Formats: sequence, structure tokens, C-alpha cells
Amino acid sequence: MKKSNLFKLLVLVIMASMVLSACGGGGDATQAADSGEKVTSTGFTCPEPSPRMEVTSTQVNLFVWTEYFPPDMLECFELVYGITLNRDEYSSNEEMYAKVSAGGTSYDLVQPTDYIVPLMVRNQLLQELDKAQLPNISSYDPSWLDKSFDKGNKYSLPYLAGTDAIVVNTDTVENVPQSWADLWKPEYAGKMVFLDDSRAVIGLTLLTLGYDPNTTDPAQLEEAKAKLAELVPSIKTFDSDSPKTALIAGDVDLGMVWTGEAFIANQENPAFQYIYPTEGAILWQDNWVMLKDAPHADAAYAWLNYTMQGDVFWLTLRDFQYTNPNKAALEYAKVNQPDVYKAYADSPITNTPAEAVANGHGIEDVGEATPLFDNIWVEVKGGN
Amino acid sequence: MLQRLRENKSAQGTLLALPTTVWLFVLLIIPLILTLIVSFGKRSPDGNVIYSFTLDNYTRLFGYSTDCPDGQASCFDPLYVNILGRSLSLALNTTLFVISLAYPLAYFIARAHPKQRNLYLFMVLIPLWTNFVIRVYAWMMLLRKEGAINLILGWVMNLLNIPFTPLEMLYTPGAVLVGMVYEFLPFMILPIYTSLEKIDASLYEAAADLGANSIKTFLRVTLPLSMPGVVAGTILVFIPVMGTFIVSDILGGRQVILVGNLIQRQFLDARDPTFGSAASLILMVMTLIVTYFYTRKFGFGEEIVVA
Amino acid sequence: MNPFRRSPFVIIASVLVYIFLYAPIVGLILYSFNASRTNVTFEGFIPAFSERIVMDGSLVKSSPCGPFHWYCDLAKNQDVAEAAGNTLTIAFVATIISTVIGTMAALALQRYNFKMKPFSQLSLYIPIVIPEIVMGIGILTLFSQFFGWANNFFNLVGDARLSMGIATVAVSHIAFMVPFVTLVVQARLQGFDKSYEEAAMDLGANEWITFKRVTFPMILPGVMSGALLAFTLSLDDFVITFFTNGPGSTTLPIYVYGLLRRIITPQVNALSTVWILVVFLAVMALQVLQNREQKPQH
Repeated sequence: MKKSNLFKLLVLVIMASMVLSACGGGGDATQAADSGEKVTSTGFTCPEPSPRMEVTSTQVNLFVWTEYFPPDMLECFELVYGITLNRDEYSSNEEMYAKVSAGGTSYDLVQPTDYIVPLMVRNQLLQELDKAQLPNISSYDPSWLDKSFDKGNKYSLPYLAGTDAIVVNTDTVENVPQSWADLWKPEYAGKMVFLDDSRAVIGLTLLTLGYDPNTTDPAQLEEAKAKLAELVPSIKTFDSDSPKTALIAGDVDLGMVWTGEAFIANQENPAFQYIYPTEGAILWQDNWVMLKDAPHADAAYAWLNYTMQGDVFWLTLRDFQYTNPNKAALEYAKVNQPDVYKAYADSPITNTPAEAVANGHGIEDVGEATPLFDNIWVEVKGGN
Repeated sequence: MLQRLRENKSAQGTLLALPTTVWLFVLLIIPLILTLIVSFGKRSPDGNVIYSFTLDNYTRLFGYSTDCPDGQASCFDPLYVNILGRSLSLALNTTLFVISLAYPLAYFIARAHPKQRNLYLFMVLIPLWTNFVIRVYAWMMLLRKEGAINLILGWVMNLLNIPFTPLEMLYTPGAVLVGMVYEFLPFMILPIYTSLEKIDASLYEAAADLGANSIKTFLRVTLPLSMPGVVAGTILVFIPVMGTFIVSDILGGRQVILVGNLIQRQFLDARDPTFGSAASLILMVMTLIVTYFYTRKFGFGEEIVVA
Repeated sequence: MNPFRRSPFVIIASVLVYIFLYAPIVGLILYSFNASRTNVTFEGFIPAFSERIVMDGSLVKSSPCGPFHWYCDLAKNQDVAEAAGNTLTIAFVATIISTVIGTMAALALQRYNFKMKPFSQLSLYIPIVIPEIVMGIGILTLFSQFFGWANNFFNLVGDARLSMGIATVAVSHIAFMVPFVTLVVQARLQGFDKSYEEAAMDLGANEWITFKRVTFPMILPGVMSGALLAFTLSLDDFVITFFTNGPGSTTLPIYVYGLLRRIITPQVNALSTVWILVVFLAVMALQVLQNREQKPQH
């Protein structure tokens, strides 16, 4: 290739990358020049941060769950504070833990589910939260604070919560299952989607045997392994990323999913019902924690405070429907966004009925016994 | 000093090769050594590595288990051996399918008019130049219950008045095979084409002159001379298939567990880097063994890869 | 003379293989115009243009961009632009570095004898036989350990801390790109006719000028092939990038993989189609450039 043509090609490539990087910068949300208001690209007016925190960092790095953040919330934070928000995502706690504990990352905040928090504390991955920098803690409904996995909220604050239960397409499934044990019935074989979550799935198996989902008794775990091994061939696919896709697409007709997915499936097609099984659903809660070596702690606190505001957090009610621990957000929505509030309050999926809560079980950290669960998972899934 | 450098050819060589060698040493050889060290370690309850020297991870891979029924002290647990076996057989099947699909097409292009050859080649390359993940996703859309293939089949069956239930193709081992074959097909077409193209046309004339018919010519002239290409292609296909985890993840519904998936899970989900490291090394050894025997029989085909 | 040239078997088989190769691509492009937001089954093209987006359940009834609705959607997506920018930046930087050091190494291996030679030659084969996942995890482990130590030793805090990001991805890409470049250039050097160089030296040129004016232009096609191959490898890489990236360094393959984990709207298809188009145009441009060079133009 002639040198001049080579040069032309190089220039082309350079220009292309410049154009694309510029595209990334452009298309930013506009600002209503007169009132100084910040407006996102969807037309949402961003509330002012209250209180406005001092931030010297120019960016903040979040490592969070997929499909969990209203885009307006992310955009508003960038607009009101003028700093860049970087977001990497994961779809399982284990994946997050592996990356964080490997080291070399520069994340500020991550979102472990309840039982992972003690694990991270034990391995010195977290720093204690400075409550003085978190005035908006008052937004929370106190019943969601001070939980057993992190007494006094030394390390964590709730984000969203929910349940794992049974979702069923009542149009295509004749006999609607009422318990976890029902899922072992041959009529459902090959039609189910399950979460790719070892603790939850082994946990529900233990429940069908009448055991505690957090047991460390090897004999009970052996039984669970055998029982689960019977079920695995009937499961069409394991999916912790977007199980609703398989449901909506008709690849599966029922399964074990979590709140948010069931809500979306139900919205697409009201035939999808969410059943709290008789043995008890799995209750969970996702929490913010700050990593020990967080490079942008000030920005992290600013983010936490901003998103805890009622007038910001209500966006989760609108976009990603889970059980909401933020009292201020619920009150804000009740007054200002009654439709959104009504959809949330009326749905048994998001507004978990009291009996289901009482009957439900949380997953807890089992410390030294963790490898037992891990081994079961690999063995039952690799077996076929 | 520059003068001395000019005269010392050996030093010149070292200097030229130095950046590459250092780069590869630091980024490949050292990590491999680290992996080796970790594979002999023990797993802490929280998933960290306790450096020691134990062969437990390897014995576990090959089936030694103390978790036995009937209270036996030790027994054979074929779980991981099965996974290794399954991966080998998938790699082999994929390679066979790929060869049988690639060869006719490569032959067609090699025998086409020289002006058209580039066009045909680019048509092969273009799907390759789209993104790996995107291609897998595309198959997901084709294979699912309400996907394109079922749509077309259903429409055809309707026309013929045959009752039709949509085929469940996605999330099966078959889907994984199709995905693998698709992903690696171009890697076999190109080397085979290159070796076919290099065959001197006069050889065909000679064969015809000697009275050989088409089939004989193919078997005695074309096929043997194209073997370097087949070998090169096989290496380019076999090795990646052994280590891929995405195809089986997305198209297999996270149920088809191959070695690649096993390794990925050990590091990400099961949090057992020691076991994962052992599996990684065994994978490497397996691919090296297969490659060694294959190339010993058929030659390395190196000249084909780079043509 | 060409016994199988017109064999119907070969022709039919080839057509079928081409169909096999392109079926998913066609499906991908078709679905990028899908009216259904859930993109499960094809619900037809979006019929109308209108001021605002009008939805009926999960069907898009009309949109300001009409059938190209998802392309407009894509254009508004800043994450994609950022990922594309990252991908190109990494590929570009990694290609340049790996081409330079790879060519140097090829020259060394082909023409010189030095003590390190067998070791260099051997280390070049490793990336070809090592499964990508083994390489990715190995590099991740290495970086984590190194960064952990370095951050402690040099007491780095805040943004100065070493961590995974664009640099680590680029560095890792170079590691698997270099052997390919070296191999390609080496092959080119193998068939090299030294008489040109000897002629130049006889005419009085020193080694450097000989290289610049004679050797390099003659191996340039090989170098460019190697560079192109390397560039492609970097653009498409998923596994190594998966293990070595960090916040703000998402590349397109990683981004698409992430998209597959969420609600899959036809926007993914629009992205794929655009990607295919860009590659297609670039390849055509290359073809045109190459054809032009072959015409006598001196």
C-alpha cells in the first residue's frame, strides 16, 4: 500500500475516533438558560441537591447492578454537580465480589445484597460510613435500618429491596404452583427459568425440605443437593441478567425471579402473576457500601445524599419497581405523582403483603460454610 | 558506543527483539507462572488464596473425591472429567462441521475467476468483522421459540397445512454447537482457501494428462496439498472453542457447562481461584497436546496462516 | 483443467454456506426496524412519522424518525458513543505499538542470531495456543497484585491510584496482538530477495538508508497486513477486555454484552447494523485504495 494511501487511512481512523469521542461529549442535556434549571434529555427537571455538598473530585465510579438506575437520576447527578459518573455493572454478587476482592479496581461504591456485606467487612474491603456526611439518612423508613447483617448501619445503607418468588404465565400454565415444592412437578419440566443465584436456589430447596435456608448442617445440604439435582434438568435456563426476557418471549412459562422482573413481565402481560410460595419467599435488600480505597469519597457521599432525597429517589418507583425503603420518596410520590404511587402501592409485587414478609426468609452469610454451597452449585449445574 | 552497536549484530538483534519479548514475558509468562503457583494453593473460606503446595485441585479435577456415598473414604466423581470430555467432544464436533462447511466454499473461491476472488473473500470476512457478541445474539434471535426460524417454518408448515409446534432450539447443546460453528467458520475458510490457491494449476493438467478423473485428482492432488490449510484452520478453531464461555452462556442458558464456563465460574461465581487456576492449566495442556499430535501428523501449516 | 470448477455440488454447498453466514446478519438488520419494543418477534416496520413517539403497549406506532426510530434512539445513547470511542482509541494505540515492536521483533528473528532468540521465538507462540480466558485471568491477577503493591509502596491515593482502565486494556491487547504482527511480517521477510539490499549497499547506501528506502517499503504490505489483523483483533476482543477493564473504559463488545443483560430493545440491532455498515465501508475504502495502487500511477 502506497505511503500516501496509508497516511490517508490513518487520518481517516483518527478522525473517526475523534468524531465518536466528541459525540460522547455532545448530546448532553440542555439547560433552561433563564431559570438556571437543569433538565435532562428526557425533559425531567432536576431537583436541587439539599444539602449541596462540597465536592472536589471530578468523577465518581459506581459498580452496580444492571437495570437498577433511572437514567434521569444518573443524568441529574451529573448535571447538578457537574462531575462525571462512571458506571460498571454486574449481575451477581459473586461476580462483584470477585472483581472487588481481586483488587486493582477504582470503584467508590458498590451494591452488595445483605448477606455479602458481612463477607466484605470480614475481608476488609469496606470503609465505615461517616454519618456526619449523610444528613439525608432521615429519608429512610427506620424499619429498613439497623438490620442484623449490619447493626447500626456502620457500613451500609439500603437502596432497594424485594423478594424472590414464583412468577407464572397464567395464560399458558393450567395449574398455578403455590409452593416452591410444586415446581418439582413434571408438568413444569422444560418450561422454567430460575435465577442463577446459588444461595437463593439452594435456599429454596432447603425450604422445601423443611430446613433453614442458611443451615450449615452437611447432612441437610446433601439432601438439598440431591433434591436440587432432580430439578435442574427441568430448568430450561438460568438467568440472573434479564429473566423476564425469556418469560415475555415465551421461551419459558414460569419460574423463580425477583420483584423487578416480575413487575415488568406483569406490565407487558397481565397474565403474569407473582406467587409468594407457602414455604416463604426469599427476602433481600441491596445496600450501598463504600470501598475502603474509594478514590472519590466526597463525590460518593454527594451521590448518596442526592439520591436519598425524596424528590429524586421516587424515580425508582417510576422506572424500576422494587420494594422501596425510602419514606421520603414514597411521601413525595403520594403527593406529586399519585399515579406512580398508586401503581406501586396497589401491586402485591412491589408492595409485599405483610403475611409474605412475615413468612419470608432472608439469606445470611454462612462464613466458613460458604464453600459447601458453592460446591453444591457447581455439581448440580455441571452434572448434565 | 553507537559504533560498537553497529558492528555487533548480535546486540542489534537482541535490542530489536527486546520490547516484544519483555512485553510477552511480563504479560503472559509471568501470569502463567502466577496461575501455576495459585493452582497449588488452598482456598480460604472467603475465596482467597492460601499459598501452599497441594495437589488437591488437580486430583479434584480428575475425579478424586472424598464426598462419597455409602461412607466410602474416596471415590471417583466424574463431574469435571465429564466437563473436560464434553468440551473436547464439542471442539471436535465443531471442527468437523466447520471443515465440512468451509472446504467446499474455500474450493469454490479458489477456483473462481481471480477478479472475483477478493469479492468472495470479503463476503466471508464481513460477518467476521462484526462483533463476536453481536453474532451470538443474532443467533439467539433466530433460534428462540418466537424467533425468525420458527416464524418461517411455521409459515411454510401453514401453507402445507401441516400442524406445527415451534421448535425449542434455544438453550440446548445444539444451539451451542451451531453458535460455535458459526463463530469459527471464517477461520477455517481462509486458511483452506490460501492453501488451495497456492496449488499450481499445472498439477491439474498433469493429472488430467495422466488420465485421472475428477475424483482421483481431488483425492490425490488437491486434498493432500490443501492439508496445511486444514491444519492451520483446525488450530485456529479448536483452541478457541475449548476456551469459549460466551457462546455456551448465552445460547446454552447457562446450563451447558464447558471448560471455559467452569473456569469463568470458579473465578467469578464460586470464588475458588485455586481450582480455577488448575482448570486453566489443564485446559492449556490439553490444547497443547492435541495441537502437538495434530501438527506432528500434518505439519504446522504456519506458512498458511500468514499468507 | 479445473475439474470441480463447475461442479454443482460445490456451487450449491457454497451458496448454502453463504446463506448460513448471512442469515443472522440479515435477521439482525431486519429486526433493527422492528416495531416491537420487546424485540421478541418481528412485528413489522414502524409505519408513520410523527412529532412524538406514540406507543401502543409495547409496539411503537409512530415516531419522529419513522422506521429508523431505533437508530435515533441509538444516537441519543451516550454510553454507546463513549464505548465506541474507547474501542477505537484502544485499538488504534495498541495497533501502532504492536506493529512497531512486532516488526522490530520479526526483523530480529529473521535476520539476526542472538542468545535470546529461542526464548523470543517460543514466547511468540504462547498467545496463539493459550485460551483467552486463561490469559485474561492471568493478566488480571498480575495487575491486581502489582497495583496493590505499588499503591501501597508509593502511597498513592485518589485518582493517582493505579487501577484497571483504558491503559490496562490497551497493554493487554498489545500482548496478544504482537505475535500476529510478528508472524505476518516474518512470513513476508522469508520470501524477501536480499539482492535489492545488496545492490543498495553496493551503491554506497549505509544500513539505515538501505532499510528506510529499500527494505521497509518492500515489507510494508506485510506490515500493513499485520497491522490490519492486529486492529481487527483489538476491535473485536471481548474476553481479555472483560477481565482487564475498569470504570470508564467500557468497549463496544463489553457494552453489547451488557446490553444483552438488560431489556433487549431493537436498539442493540440498530447498533449492530451501524457497526456492520461502518466495517463494510472501511473495507470497501481499503479495497478502493488497494486497487488504485495497483494501477500504474508512477
